[in-house]
Amino acid sequence: MKLDRREALAALGGAGVLALAGCNPFRPKLGPGLALTATSSKDPDVRFLDRFGFGPDAVQLTQIKKAGREAWFERQLEAPTGEVPALASRLAYLEIENLSAWDLRDWPIEDVLRQIQLSAVLRATYSPFQVRERLVHFWSDHFNVYARKGLGGFRKPTDERDVVRKHALGRFGEMVSASSKSTAMLLFLDQQASTARHPNENYARELFELHTLGVDGGYSQLDVMEAARCFTGWTEERGIFAQVGSFQFDATIHDTGSKTVLGTKIPAGGGVEDGEAVVWLAVRHPSTARHLAKKLCRSYLGPITDVAPVERVARTFADSEGDIKATMRALFREYESGSVAPVVKRPFDTVVSALRALGAETDGDGPLQEHLEKMGQPLHQWPMPDGFPVAAEAWTTSLLGRWNFAAALAHGRIKGTSVPSLPDTPSQTVSAVFGGGLPEDRARAIASKLGQAPDRETCLAACLSTPEFQWR
Amino acid sequence: MKADPATCREFGQWIGRRSLLVGAATAGLGFLSRASFAQAAFRPDREDGPVLVSVFLRGGADALNIVAPYGEDAYRRARPTLGFGGPKGSAPNGRALDLDGLFGLHPALEPVLPLYEEGRLAVVVACGSGDETRSHFEAMSAMERGLGSSEKGEASGWIARHVNQDPGRGGPLRAVAVGATVPESLRGAVGAVTFSGVADYRLDVPDAEESKFRSLLRNLHEGEDTMAAAGAKTLEALEKLRSSDPRRYRPGHGAAYPSTGIATALRDVAYLVKGGFGLEVAALESVGWDTHVAQGAATGWQANLLKELADGIASFFQDLGPKSDRVVLTVQTEFGRRLEENSGFGTDHGHGGFMFAFGGPVQGGKVYGRWPGLSPDQLVGPGDLAVTTDYRTVLAEILERHVGCPDVSRVFPGRSDGRLGLIRA
Repeated sequence: MKLDRREALAALGGAGVLALAGCNPFRPKLGPGLALTATSSKDPDVRFLDRFGFGPDAVQLTQIKKAGREAWFERQLEAPTGEVPALASRLAYLEIENLSAWDLRDWPIEDVLRQIQLSAVLRATYSPFQVRERLVHFWSDHFNVYARKGLGGFRKPTDERDVVRKHALGRFGEMVSASSKSTAMLLFLDQQASTARHPNENYARELFELHTLGVDGGYSQLDVMEAARCFTGWTEERGIFAQVGSFQFDATIHDTGSKTVLGTKIPAGGGVEDGEAVVWLAVRHPSTARHLAKKLCRSYLGPITDVAPVERVARTFADSEGDIKATMRALFREYESGSVAPVVKRPFDTVVSALRALGAETDGDGPLQEHLEKMGQPLHQWPMPDGFPVAAEAWTTSLLGRWNFAAALAHGRIKGTSVPSLPDTPSQTVSAVFGGGLPEDRARAIASKLGQAPDRETCLAACLSTPEFQWR
Repeated sequence: MKADPATCREFGQWIGRRSLLVGAATAGLGFLSRASFAQAAFRPDREDGPVLVSVFLRGGADALNIVAPYGEDAYRRARPTLGFGGPKGSAPNGRALDLDGLFGLHPALEPVLPLYEEGRLAVVVACGSGDETRSHFEAMSAMERGLGSSEKGEASGWIARHVNQDPGRGGPLRAVAVGATVPESLRGAVGAVTFSGVADYRLDVPDAEESKFRSLLRNLHEGEDTMAAAGAKTLEALEKLRSSDPRRYRPGHGAAYPSTGIATALRDVAYLVKGGFGLEVAALESVGWDTHVAQGAATGWQANLLKELADGIASFFQDLGPKSDRVVLTVQTEFGRRLEENSGFGTDHGHGGFMFAFGGPVQGGKVYGRWPGLSPDQLVGPGDLAVTTDYRTVLAEILERHVGCPDVSRVFPGRSDGRLGLIRA
């Protein structure tokens, strides 16, 4: 096969192509012979929808082409609280949408899990408010609660709804505050077992390390121990008439002595407000802005090497007192100014972007979820409080799960999920899968390889398995 | 499990042969081209190299109840509901399995006690890293990256740095992880693969479509893109596994693995060891060791986890039989826990852990490491066991003397030298 010049450049990977597009060359070394590469200079609108949402579908692509990225993005930030009717009707039969932890207290974990997994797929696939949906996933990882810890499953839907989704585009401090009183989080991090005599440090530590300041944020072991004393008595309602799953402050086990956290003295005799003070000290600490900006940039812009964009996003976060919309606008500006590096699709991204590109019909149920599990991302089941990893190295040891998903989808073997019509030719397959997001010659090269497929199903399966499709 | 005399005889012969051959064999492997490896794939004897299996217990397993210093008064005083007694005297929470008069194994580890008695289990006490953050993620990450503490350092995993010293060596299944995602120890390793189970490692399409789909995938994964490289490796591994059928695997020597996660993973590793797939390093993990509340003593949370682990390891070595003479299996965790139990009958994040090294090449039946003691002036931080043996000392010795790592200082830069001598010369 002969390569023309542009194709040869594309084959060299994103380093060259991004340089041509006016961006910084990016080629971090992973190990001998391995380097991350962007796939190609995709249509900027397609890539934008891959970064800020879960990939293009026909409707969103038309909208963004018509309105322009900035106007489209602004409209996305004003997402209403509710869902559009088409999505609402898909979610209507999910009881977890409206029930409290108390209502769900006797539900088997498998039923709770199934419903929250299902709703995650349905919302990501069918919501027109893609920016909010991706942010929900970002925050859900940031405040990760493992649904299978102890009897914690029934508290998880409330956490997802009243902590993550409710504040996803609101104020960061309010979200941390809600999370600190979420019984899902408190039980996951053993806070309910913390007493004045024996404070448990787990929640206090993760609040600083993961939720706010970041591990290099300038707190000490002593700060963790003092904060843990402040949170003693933060627990869940107990007793015969208790609303299990609701927050309760138990003054009888609270440490009422004076404490010093992050250099601030918290006077003796306090109650629940001691822990509340710790939350706001952490939220307003300058390290928190940096930590959040770093994580947001890593997720949306990729592993960029330049620190200036991170600093600018951090400044917006700090100046706006943790206003997430303002922070997202800053992130948008950095993206538009070209601070972009390759980001690998996590399994959930691959699944949802494929469904969206092909206009697939899905109920989001078990058979689809099994694929996510085999691909390495069983939803709501990351057992540690740091959330599913983002770095490409976490996802590139084996692509088998992705290929098996692609084959099952194309051959119609996922019960409850189907592609309405298969593209007829290899080139139609490429344009369906990539939404016109590949340069002409790259698309042609892939289509020519797909020409060997024995049937339309295998052709689609192979196209969804391409390295190019695994990048956002 | 009793020692099998036949095993022991072969074991002795192997040791003799091994000391002569291991250097030559590992050096020789470097000369084999990929093509010659493909040809050698069906001849298991060509792929019979040394293997390291690393088992990571996530959650900061409580070392003081895994290798219990029952001989120390301070231990039992600090742990009124958790601490074990020794062979004599009162023992309200149960008795540890005596090792040397001072230390004893958790009673749930009984299935591996014979390995200790046969000299195939070495126990290292007060072993760990210098990390003092007591953060799981920092400590795990530092340990899996082979660092002394969570200081800034290498971003790649320690196994990855070993593997990458000679990326052409071994087959496509040279470095594997059994789990949902790649562990940090393998991050950046050229050609490392992850699967949830070896029988699942196949293209899930009807047989008639398989070869056509595979050849399409091969064509689409040419190029230098990270994903293309990952795809090419995936195909190599698939093609190799197709040459035998892991689903029909029958463990040897009467071994019956329980159906727990860790045992199933070890069964897969045994299959890869015995099947001649060129396996060299396997990274396994066990989760759930973060026992802040209701840890339990002779029974309960931690005991259940230890029993799963011990049953799995005992079955693994039984299954391997004489082939265990080329396998070293290590068990480690990110940090220890505080000496004093907490009000929830659990333990808080601490310091000072333990390590196990199993296998034929191990000079076992012995407790290694200097014991720093548990009296208040001997403890560190908020009341933790001190670390006297760097975990990297153990791993470095295994890499160097067992796996034949060309340059162990590139795997663990900045480590001070020293050896415990737990690998047979």
